Amino acid sequence: MSNFVAELRDVHKSFGNTVVFCDVNFAIAERDTVSICGDSGSGKTTLINVLGLLEPPTSGRVIWESCEVTYTKMSRVARLRSKIFGYIFQQCNLIPELNVVENLMLPKRIAGEAGEADVDFVRQLLRQTQLTKFENRAVSTLSGGERQKVAAIRAMVNRPRVIVADEPTGNLDEKSANLVMDAIVGLCNSCGSALLLITHNKRFAEKMQTSYVLTNMRLRRME
Amino acid sequence: MKWYAYFAWKQLFPTGRKLSFFSAMSIFGVALGVTVLFVVQSVMDGFQHNIRRAIVETQGDVRVESQDVECQGLIHGTDNLVSFLMNFPDVAAVAKYAYGITMLKCGGRTAFPMVKGIDVENEPKVVDLLKFVKHGSLEGLDCGGIALSSDLAVKIGAAVGSRVEIYSPLMVENSIDGDVILPKTLEVTMIFETGHHNTGRNTVFIAIDTLQDFYNIGDGIHGIALKVKPGVPTEKVAFALNQSLRYPLVAASWQEMNRDFLFALRMEKTMMFFVLVFILLISAFSIAGSMLISVIRKTREIGLISAIGGTVIGCSMCFFLQGAIIGIIGSTIGIIFATTVLCFRNVIVYSFAKLCGVEDFMLRFYSFANMPARYGVGDIFSTMAFAITLCCLAAVVPAIKVARINAAEALRSE
Repeated sequence: MSNFVAELRDVHKSFGNTVVFCDVNFAIAERDTVSICGDSGSGKTTLINVLGLLEPPTSGRVIWESCEVTYTKMSRVARLRSKIFGYIFQQCNLIPELNVVENLMLPKRIAGEAGEADVDFVRQLLRQTQLTKFENRAVSTLSGGERQKVAAIRAMVNRPRVIVADEPTGNLDEKSANLVMDAIVGLCNSCGSALLLITHNKRFAEKMQTSYVLTNMRLRRME
Repeated sequence: MKWYAYFAWKQLFPTGRKLSFFSAMSIFGVALGVTVLFVVQSVMDGFQHNIRRAIVETQGDVRVESQDVECQGLIHGTDNLVSFLMNFPDVAAVAKYAYGITMLKCGGRTAFPMVKGIDVENEPKVVDLLKFVKHGSLEGLDCGGIALSSDLAVKIGAAVGSRVEIYSPLMVENSIDGDVILPKTLEVTMIFETGHHNTGRNTVFIAIDTLQDFYNIGDGIHGIALKVKPGVPTEKVAFALNQSLRYPLVAASWQEMNRDFLFALRMEKTMMFFVLVFILLISAFSIAGSMLISVIRKTREIGLISAIGGTVIGCSMCFFLQGAIIGIIGSTIGIIFATTVLCFRNVIVYSFAKLCGVEDFMLRFYSFANMPARYGVGDIFSTMAFAITLCCLAAVVPAIKVARINAAEALRSE
């Protein structure tokens, strides 16, 4: 039995006649830090969507914690996904109707596990990222960097096995991008989660233990 | 609280703001529709109730009449029939009556009312006639007196103590044969007011003996009015009587006798409901439209919720529950508005009438001094349930649209 948290085996994905990628074999283990680079439109986001079963592969197998889930019922996949993956997107996707702490508690509410201990955990993460003073603020009053940090904490709230960060610094200036990346890496380390980073930034990619590049419909490991 | 209920609530009542514009407009629309629907239905119910009560109070619960055309509907030798009816189960009281058209003259003024001959002793046991006495008393009828409705008294200028001449149609028939019959002179001993436009406005009462003599019908009567014991359905008694009575005698409850009129009243209420439901339908369509826009605006958020563990059903429920919450809050506010309006309805109506200079229009057109209204807990719950159902139905389309959203596409949407 492997210790991989999530795997893609011989995965092929196409939209109609357009092939996005084929014969992809990819795995991420506990506490791994992995980056995937590639040109815009090369299929990086589609790859992580297939890994998280947000969309199904055209062929191949998706395996989470040594169990094949490719054809599992969607409601079960949704439950499993919230335990295995935490997502950070380029656009923070915070809910404007909720304040910071309510946004952070949302994954726990969806899992039906929101409790006092979780609020304390959220406060601890806010302290770690120097966002304590924003706890009860409306998300619309936060800066881009602050929002992205909040989005990073939200991804951590369920203590997932893998944090999937899809170009989390794409909309930020260099200074804010550094701060956000430091926060993400720090949070992953403190929670013991693996990090799968999709980025165009070579400097961030090089900081990861393993780097891949998605080009010409193939995923290749960079030495 | 389930996450989708929490999320639906927060969409309508966001943290940091008391109410979103969409929620306020949607709730106000539903409240307005419920208010109008409930007020109109309650007033219609009140009118209907008052009219039905007026009918029962002036006609009795059940009537036994003859269908024999050859005898002009007259029943002779009624002693056995009266004692049979008196002893019939669930019958509390009986009173004989006869009627005809007459010409009435007081001074120079004439009128052509319906004259009803009543059993002065038993009539008050069947019909609550004493309740309607405005001036004088009923006892005077036995001594050759006549009771006039207040409208008629005003019309011919008569008061208690006035003497009126009453002309029988027999006078016309006899004058052809060369006989001359003089009109009967009767003293007005009572003036009554039923309070309702259609019942008793153009009616006079005299003693049944006087009428039989006046119309030369011997001991003939046109029918017997029955009072049914409290709580017993009148239709049931009428049905049981028809099983026992032989042709040409037929018993009819007050509902059967006024079937067309009561049907018209019910139809009026139904039509009003049908027309007013469109206000709620417009609110429901506006909710559906606003929520569909909201679904499009929040596509990325829906994608995010799917990514962090939300199921398709949960996401759909978020939008469905928004419709239900709008319906519950809107209909509750609507009912509060409506009961407040109904509580002060007479003040509102008279203030408006005074403003328009038509203070007495209620009495003039509807013969009710005050605007009636009638509603119960059942009416409140049925109106609320109807409004909530419409709002839930309005939310079904956005909920279905949410269910069809693909999480990955939603996350990619701009």
